[in-house]
Amino acid sequence: MIRDRLYHDLTNRGITGWIVAALLVWFYIALYFTESLTPWAQKVGLSSKWDLYGVLYTVVILVGGIAMIRKYGHNRYQVVRTGVVMFVQVVFAFSIPMMLKALHQPEYYLSYFWPLKFDYMNPEYLFAQPWPFVVYTLAASLVIVPLLGALIGKRWYCSWVCGCGGLANTMGEPWRHLSDKSSAAWKFEKVSIYSVFGISLLLTGLLFYSWFTKSKAPEVVQFQTWYGLIVGSILSGAVGTGLYPLGGTRVWCRFFCPMAALLGITQKAGKRFHIRVKEDMCISCGLCSKYCEMGIDVRAYAQRNESFTRASCVGCGICSEVCPRGVLRLENQSGLVQISGGR
Amino acid sequence: MHLVIVGNGVAGVTAAMDARAADPRAQITLISGESEYFFSRTALMYAYMDVMQRRDLEPYERKVFREQRLTLLRDWVVDLDAGTRELRLAGGATVSYDKLLLATGSRGRRAPWERDLEGVVRFVSLQDLDACERLTPGTRRAVVAGGGLIGVELVECLMHHRVPVTFLVREPSYWPAALSVEEGDLVAAHIRAQGVDLRLGTEVKSMEGDGRVTGVTTTAGETIACQMVGVTIGVEPNVEWLRTVKTPPELNRGVVTDQAFRTSLPDVFAAGDVAEVEGRIEPLWYAAKRQGEAVARAMMGEPVEYAPPTYYNSAKFFHLEWTCAGETKGPGRFRKLPGREASVRVIERDGLAVGFSMLGTRWNHRVLVKWVEERRRVDEVMGRLSEAQYDVEFGKVAL
Ligand SMILES: Cc1cc2nc3c(=O)[nH]c(=O)nc-3n(C[C@H](O)[C@H](O)[C@H](O)COP(=O)(O)OP(=O)(O)OC[C@H]3O[C@@H](n4cnc5c(N)ncnc54)[C@H](O)[C@@H]3O)c2cc1C
Ligand code: SF4
Repeated sequence: MIRDRLYHDLTNRGITGWIVAALLVWFYIALYFTESLTPWAQKVGLSSKWDLYGVLYTVVILVGGIAMIRKYGHNRYQVVRTGVVMFVQVVFAFSIPMMLKALHQPEYYLSYFWPLKFDYMNPEYLFAQPWPFVVYTLAASLVIVPLLGALIGKRWYCSWVCGCGGLANTMGEPWRHLSDKSSAAWKFEKVSIYSVFGISLLLTGLLFYSWFTKSKAPEVVQFQTWYGLIVGSILSGAVGTGLYPLGGTRVWCRFFCPMAALLGITQKAGKRFHIRVKEDMCISCGLCSKYCEMGIDVRAYAQRNESFTRASCVGCGICSEVCPRGVLRLENQSGLVQISGGR
Repeated sequence: MHLVIVGNGVAGVTAAMDARAADPRAQITLISGESEYFFSRTALMYAYMDVMQRRDLEPYERKVFREQRLTLLRDWVVDLDAGTRELRLAGGATVSYDKLLLATGSRGRRAPWERDLEGVVRFVSLQDLDACERLTPGTRRAVVAGGGLIGVELVECLMHHRVPVTFLVREPSYWPAALSVEEGDLVAAHIRAQGVDLRLGTEVKSMEGDGRVTGVTTTAGETIACQMVGVTIGVEPNVEWLRTVKTPPELNRGVVTDQAFRTSLPDVFAAGDVAEVEGRIEPLWYAAKRQGEAVARAMMGEPVEYAPPTYYNSAKFFHLEWTCAGETKGPGRFRKLPGREASVRVIERDGLAVGFSMLGTRWNHRVLVKWVEERRRVDEVMGRLSEAQYDVEFGKVAL
């Protein structure tokens, strides 16, 4: 009983939830704005606080991923997806950069792309890299990301590859239901996420302009610094992850991530990925909405028999998993085939 | 026009919303004693299991009721006078109507051996949920009597809270109302595998205790000590309150209506679990919703001839999902799927597939219903079953 109460408290914004959130925010502030983690890193034989962060991040994804697979082992989609998330983290987001670093090469994170990894499309940085990386980055950001988004939905990135999403879908799992389902939150989301996306486009444009004209105005430099601070450190780190126990796991992804915005647009425009609703079988229980980490009111669609695509949907597939009546199914397919019988 | 709806369940609320869409000017009032806002009765178990909070049970944001100008009154209706077109509420107020919809749903049936002791619960209303939650911490063993769909949900909730449960089921095989013996065995094995003390072919004979329940004695003569008894022997239309009103509508098992949901009283309609439409009661969520849509049209003066569509249903026994379409009883072809707790059964008559009962994997009931309606041959559908599968991506089960 005590254990249940504690778990309830931790996962429903009780005191323990607030304490964990405070600790997480404190950790991110220490990481981004101080050197207090450096000695800890050195103690375990790592050269910098960022390496320590990388190790912690990977361990947490692995532990959370194993828990996830144990919980949803009967669901092949969840097993495959979680397996890929763990693999990408270990190989592309950890081992390869660490190896490159050990070989005194630049650390490339091959599973991160512009506009999430903002610098990768900063011409000053990009064109100073070896050509294979330039080709890889340009092809990935400009072709592969939007193309796959249109063909199979943003999920291929947001809930299969991305490290931020990976953390949310592994360690964050116990808090996924805390996302705000209100229509007010949806309104805010539309304004906030496309604002950040617009700003990131503008900044990229300015950087290219400066690069072409070979003159970088001090305002652009400042703009770049502020973007890095607010979007990169505060929103994606402290707010995005720190507030897991208060606002759910996808605060960053849902309200701020420019990559999610871009992918969401291609997901909508592609008209292929959708959540299919089996007609007249929904009992409006609301588990799907409750466990949607993006705060989508899935039940609202299901109870009116409406198959749908939402820009924010990361295709984690948990709505389909928890639905006790098997109403929901993730699909990639153009032109919905609705089978009507009865009536 | 003042449209008054008694009962804010899915039938009442659907009717209210559809009536609003059809008539932007009508005054619409929803009266319900159980809760101010519409909630999903079907999700009671998830609230009990603490995977949802009370507010999560509400299918619509509260502001929707303001936006749609639906007046909500929380009270019990205790009298109905069709002469003066007035309702009286338990709180003393009267409400007059031009058109009235009775959508008062079902209530848990009372068992002959039942006594009003502390610790005896049902699992139908929000108040039942409150009682269950209050009793759980002090319960070292619970007995749940009645093996229907609500019974197994209550058992699952109790097990979730690590309360040992003895589950008494009268029938010799599990849920013969819809499952074949083989399917019943599969489900019974699954329930037992969760740690439930499931006893088939066993009924309660009497309840022990004085003020508080202390145990039940079974027809096998055994007394099982327990602090909580769940009575889940089925539901019945909630019509008792109508027997004592000034002008009762014609009642049988439910409120008797014609195909347009008209009761014997002028401008009084009934829909949902409480309605007996041309002799038939459909105590299902989808049916109550469908009837709510249809009765809204009827009340707006459209001609309505309601006829239930081909039957289908789905349920979940702990982790085992179940879908059915068409008929569920009678001879048929059963196949247990290799290597997993799953089976398919096609009910057969004169070589035609007249129904499906599918356990353990996901199915699109729409396809199954269509086959039944198209009177497909069993041999044909057996070969085409995979077209109706609805498993998750990468998870399509080999048949
Ligand atoms: C635990 C449980 C699980 C279920 N699961 C499923 C499922 O999985 N699938 C499925 O198809 N069906 C399921 N059902 C059945 C389904 O919930 C009902 O068919 C459906 O709720 C009926 O809706 P309704 O609007 O007719 O009535 P109800 O939802 O019962 O609403 C009637 C309302 O009227 C109120 N009322 C009654 N009398 C008065 C009065 N005199 N004055 C004022 N108010 C009054 C009641 O308090 C109640 O709030 C389940 C039922 C239960 C109890
Ligand atoms: S989980 Fe399934 S049954 Fe429940 S509201 Fe969502 S779609 Fe409907």
